[in-house]
Amino acid sequence: MSGDMRLASRYLYGATIALLTIWVLVPLGLLLINTLSSPEAVNAFPKRFWPEFDLGSLRFFAGFDGMIDALFNSIWVAGLTMVLSILIGAPAGYALSRFDFPGKETFRLLVLLTRAFPLPLLALPMAIAFIRLGIDDTIFGLGLVHTMLALPFAVLITFSLFSGIPIELEEAAWTLGCTRFGAFCRVVLPLILPGITASAIFAFVISWNEVFAAAVLTIENRTLTAFLLQNLDTSPLHLKFAGGFILVVPALVFIFAVRKYLFAMWGIANR
Amino acid sequence: MTINKQLSAALSGLAFLIAASASHSQVLFWSTQAKPVEEAQAMRDQVLSGADVAVDYQPNDGGPWLTRLQAELAAGSGSIGVLGALHGDFAAMDTRDLVDLDDLGLEAKSATFNQLARLGTQKMQYIPWMQASYIMAANRKALEHLPSGADINALSYDQLIEWAANVMQATGGAKFGFPAGPKGLKHRFFQGYLYPSYTDGVVRTFASDKAVMAWEKFRELWAVTNPASTGYSFLQEQLLSEEVWIAFDHTSRLANAFNERPNDFVAFPAPAGPEGRGFMPVLAGVAIPRTASDMAAAKKVVAYMLDPETQVKTLRATNFFPVVDVNLPSDLPPAVQAAGDAVAIMSASEDANPGLLPAGLGNKGGDFNRVFVDAFERIVLNGQDIRAVLDDQKKVLSAIMEETGAPCWAPDAPSEGACPVE
Repeated sequence: MSGDMRLASRYLYGATIALLTIWVLVPLGLLLINTLSSPEAVNAFPKRFWPEFDLGSLRFFAGFDGMIDALFNSIWVAGLTMVLSILIGAPAGYALSRFDFPGKETFRLLVLLTRAFPLPLLALPMAIAFIRLGIDDTIFGLGLVHTMLALPFAVLITFSLFSGIPIELEEAAWTLGCTRFGAFCRVVLPLILPGITASAIFAFVISWNEVFAAAVLTIENRTLTAFLLQNLDTSPLHLKFAGGFILVVPALVFIFAVRKYLFAMWGIANR
Repeated sequence: MTINKQLSAALSGLAFLIAASASHSQVLFWSTQAKPVEEAQAMRDQVLSGADVAVDYQPNDGGPWLTRLQAELAAGSGSIGVLGALHGDFAAMDTRDLVDLDDLGLEAKSATFNQLARLGTQKMQYIPWMQASYIMAANRKALEHLPSGADINALSYDQLIEWAANVMQATGGAKFGFPAGPKGLKHRFFQGYLYPSYTDGVVRTFASDKAVMAWEKFRELWAVTNPASTGYSFLQEQLLSEEVWIAFDHTSRLANAFNERPNDFVAFPAPAGPEGRGFMPVLAGVAIPRTASDMAAAKKVVAYMLDPETQVKTLRATNFFPVVDVNLPSDLPPAVQAAGDAVAIMSASEDANPGLLPAGLGNKGGDFNRVFVDAFERIVLNGQDIRAVLDDQKKVLSAIMEETGAPCWAPDAPSEGACPVE
């Protein structure tokens, strides 16, 4: 490769990185700036590029009844979704990659079906069943629904992960005295941990963002998204920004907290 | 932590999650109104905190509101105590699912509203709760461009178009705003404003020659309308950002503009056409579903909402006006004063031609609105031939009227049986 070419490709690489970074950061930046601005500044044009640190909008939400409860409900539901979808999804993914059984292909397709029907369609019969079963308006009930939504991702992500790990590694462990379960725990699990994290993040985000089922299936125990999102679209602009900010921050914090496991998957050293 | 400890912690957490659904003594007020966060907060803090039963006010989008309600009705038990919604939402329901409320002895000042609230039965199915309307609002900067001789309180559609054209010429941008966005209330403009003003009807005159004229006029208005209007749903935002100087919208969707910068905006009546100044009320009601667990408490809440003092508090919280006789205090928020004056001038004007909300359409209300929205999209956005589109849509409208058997409502002349599309 000539020097020019190398330089050009380096510029292209740099420009792509810059573009992707801007793609992510600019909306977040605008969200932050407008959250920390007074209503007048939010509506003014041209837009500011520096917040004026007006805490009025955030103060409004601090006094908004039920916000904190809703935040904790969201965390509980998302956490439960994460745990359940991994507990149910990972064994299914393992079975798909390691065993041949009749109907395997059909199962792989069927698992996607939970995403094939729009929630507004499913919510009514589900709500009726939940009321009759007595798990209506519980974090557990909503967690089950969100698990159902997150399962296809958990199954398919873990399936491809398990498939990427040679069975020989497990067999080697068996010959050295490990039980099947022991080999799984000592050899396979550490290798796929980053992938598990990725599907956990997926589950978390799916649960965090879901509005319709949450709005229908919970009343006293609303999640933050159900509690806020429906009301934000009709709210004034400065409160839309502040509300959006409040919805985004916990999800961002979570992703930052687990990011080192993700990086490990992509082969970046885990520091 | 050992595996055992982790496991037991997880199990106790799960037990907590299931147990978190303890029973509660609050009355759940399940509403489609007062949805914006500030209004919801005001409903809780300022309006419902004064009731002698504890009320949990939960405003929702229409979809979850209806789905939850249907689920509780189907399951035969539920947590919803009181329903708050628009007339159209109740009209779409089976009246057997709503508790008759005659024994409360409550009603609105307007006999028309009380009639609407019976939903075609002999008894009150909901109690009228609050009302609003649609008005116009303008930035004061636009006033100097008013056509000569035009009175802002008695504009005609021609003058409005000329005014918007003047502003466009002076500023270089189209500054008339129309709520044609996905959540905008454009259909109400056609049903309650444009059609009554030009055809003195809505259903009977849907495809009349006068209707062709009305759509031609609207095309003229659209030519001087900000093209971004197809994304506008709450004109207060565009008024505040000054993307728009002149706007038509629901009073509560303009309220923030007046409350945030009371000195910058004026409110005024909708324009008039050859058949008068068409306008339409918005009516919200409160009802009790048959599955309410504590009927007595729910009825207490309904009665509380109709108390004159509560009605004034509700006005402050939501910008929706009382339906019973009240003494309005003098220190109302700017938006309430501005909208109240505009509505008063509009209804008292000599050429006033008030329409009513569509009635008797049952769950076809959405389809009825769709007829007008489709006509708008085809005629105005796609530029199709007006006569052809109206003749096309007329069949859809006829089918809806025949299927529901809904009789005509004002300003259409009364009908025997289903309202005919002429």
